[in-house]
Amino acid sequence: MNSSWHNYSSHNAGRFFDEMITDAGSPRQAARHAVKLLQALSGPEMAARRGAAELAIREMGISFTIYSEGGNIDRAWPFDIIPRIIRDREWQKISRGLAQRSRALNCFINDIYNEQKILADGLLPADIVLDSGNYKPQCAGVTPRYGAWAHVCGTDLVRNRDGKFYVLEDNLRVPSGVSYMLENREITKRVLPELFKDYSILPVDDYPSRLYSTLASLSPRDRRRPCIVVLTPGIYNSAYFEHAYLAQGMGAELVEGSDLFVDADDCLYMRTVDGSERVDVVYRRIDDDFLDPEVFRKDSTLGIPGIMRAWKKGNVAIANAPGSGVADDKVVYAFVPAMIRYYLGEEPSLASVKTYLCMHQPDRDYVLANLDKLVVKPANESGGYGIMVGPHSSAAKRAEFARLIEANPRNYIAQPTLSLSTAPTFINDAVEPRHLDLRPFILQGRDTWVTPGGLTRVALVKGSLVVNSSQGGGSKDTWIVEDKS
Amino acid sequence: MIMLSRVAERLYWMARYLERAEDTARLTKAYTHLIMDIPSVSQPGWDILVRILDAQAQFSEHHRACNEQNVLKFLVAEEDNPGSVHFCIRAARENVRTTRDVLPEEVWEHVNGLYLYSQEYAAKSVGRRNRHQFLDQVIARCQMISGLLMSTLCRDHAYRFIKLGALLERADMTTRIIDVGAGALLGNERLSTAVDPLIWAALLQSLSAMGTYRRTIGPLVEANTVVNFVFREPTLPRSVRFCLDGIRRELLPLKHHEAAIRVLDQSLQGLEQFDAETAERQQLHDFIDHFQLELNTLGNIISTTWFMSGVETSGVATSGVATSGAV
Repeated sequence: MNSSWHNYSSHNAGRFFDEMITDAGSPRQAARHAVKLLQALSGPEMAARRGAAELAIREMGISFTIYSEGGNIDRAWPFDIIPRIIRDREWQKISRGLAQRSRALNCFINDIYNEQKILADGLLPADIVLDSGNYKPQCAGVTPRYGAWAHVCGTDLVRNRDGKFYVLEDNLRVPSGVSYMLENREITKRVLPELFKDYSILPVDDYPSRLYSTLASLSPRDRRRPCIVVLTPGIYNSAYFEHAYLAQGMGAELVEGSDLFVDADDCLYMRTVDGSERVDVVYRRIDDDFLDPEVFRKDSTLGIPGIMRAWKKGNVAIANAPGSGVADDKVVYAFVPAMIRYYLGEEPSLASVKTYLCMHQPDRDYVLANLDKLVVKPANESGGYGIMVGPHSSAAKRAEFARLIEANPRNYIAQPTLSLSTAPTFINDAVEPRHLDLRPFILQGRDTWVTPGGLTRVALVKGSLVVNSSQGGGSKDTWIVEDKS
Repeated sequence: MIMLSRVAERLYWMARYLERAEDTARLTKAYTHLIMDIPSVSQPGWDILVRILDAQAQFSEHHRACNEQNVLKFLVAEEDNPGSVHFCIRAARENVRTTRDVLPEEVWEHVNGLYLYSQEYAAKSVGRRNRHQFLDQVIARCQMISGLLMSTLCRDHAYRFIKLGALLERADMTTRIIDVGAGALLGNERLSTAVDPLIWAALLQSLSAMGTYRRTIGPLVEANTVVNFVFREPTLPRSVRFCLDGIRRELLPLKHHEAAIRVLDQSLQGLEQFDAETAERQQLHDFIDHFQLELNTLGNIISTTWFMSGVETSGVATSGVATSGAV
């Protein structure tokens, strides 16, 4: 073993689950080849591979944008060269669980905007859903094609100390990151080609064509090639690179709100040099609130006046459908397992984090008695209250939250503190464990499809749990590997 | 092949700004040479460069004296003068940034490289010592980008709008250059017959037309002949006629081109009928004034026919990038 891996397993000391190395310090089965090969590389050799990766990132123009006063800056995408490896056998189960979850969430959204059966049957309190800012009454009465609302879902998973994956949250509005998942694979192919020899890795690069098929299946007109556009807020948005990337990958037009208009026939058109061209499907990457100034925020200059009219009449498909956010709410999250049983008649195959709803007496008693062990979150996001992480909190803080919970139990949920798994990450000149999560993407149109793997985000700062790219987070290539016969 | 109006507009302005950067650099370079050749008593002032670009108002916002230092700073380095070389390069880059997906990847790299160069050197190149090298670099890099576009772009709408922008800008600049010689700007009393040929030769130089002129017309540089040549020589890539012919060729394949063609044909006809050989300087100046108005009209028609002008929803950042800031 070379010196960059020196003392690797002592860092964790068994406190976290490590994706590649067991507590005893030996590589996990699926990671064996990769660890062997990486350990054979010297520190300078590893650094050279990292240099090659950074060069590739600059050349490929992979960036995210940070807007600042001095103009917008394109930052190179921080990337760790050591891939994260997950066995296919384990992944298939997760993938099925994700698809199941996505189907149930879509049933839920469609139900809420139509019959509201789940509320009538008392599975969850109506006011929790209907009073939430994520519920958009303007969407009531609409059933998009196939009953699909959240066509692209990014679900955040974490692996706990017990080695099991848990769903942390579902992002049903405008989840981003998929382009980095694709680029990460491209970079790894360039800088560690020899690793691929010993593995059978599920490919990810058909995502743009899968996305295209999903979007095309939503088209209100039956055409061989429906007109699909990617709607971006513009160059200053942090995910602009991804918007352009996906548009190019699908052969779709990258448009801004001002490129589109709704005509007297309530159809959506884009302005081209040859005149107006009818649009069938909008893959929008702007929030509901900015989508249509006639219906939502009146001061929005990013949206298209009348697009909601066109959508409600079925003249254009919008992905994700407006109002989908009603299902990615912290309180609603607690009911997803119940939804799966209710709508699908199945047992949830993916674990959720146990969520205590302070509005229920027994839950509340438990939460108040265990504040030092739990994470307490305000249920109503627009409340503006902070989150309390029990194990890191002061007695005064806990007393304050106890008072808040007693005063307004409906506004609080609590969850046990999870310990995020780690994976070997090349930091400076040594390989050290860093915490990570995983965001797979689930597509829902006529069919359901789950990316093999997803985007692994890694907190590059030692001990940090923050994987966000604007706050010192990076990413890793994620491999789903088949067991060799 | 679908071309979004907004994308077409940005490509068009990218080309206009690149052409304007190159032309301003050419003009500044030629004028600097010229000044050095003219005895100081009859030297025309630096204010002419400002007046060529109709930028007096803008100039006087920031400067009082029309001396070499101020004028050059204004033309080369100023951040907020829409006619300055640096401003044009920055605006071109912003337009490429948002249209990268329809352009060959190298275009972005070269335009970005030009921007980085200008950002570092523009302000340091106001003085005579570094000026020449900076202007040469700008001209050479702009030419490289034009060459790259010529040799890699599909002849589709993207190419068409880039050509339209470049040719319109060039036609405008060529007439402005003639206007310098037209004396209406110079003021007749300041001109001596000895200096006149020097000025016309410098102007030909700035249009890369000196060699062709010598071979086609002869070595004697005479005002009316030069004007006629630069107006009407159909084979000279910077002549007005050449630009108009090119614009016409690119307009024809576009839908709804009737209004634009009508104005263009008027301009072509006016150019044909204007008798440069016998025209007095005042007549020449009036003709150019009128001609530039027509080019302006043509630009407006292009904008209303194919772009989204008048659409209020377009964001500030967007229109800020694409708008001409008519110089």
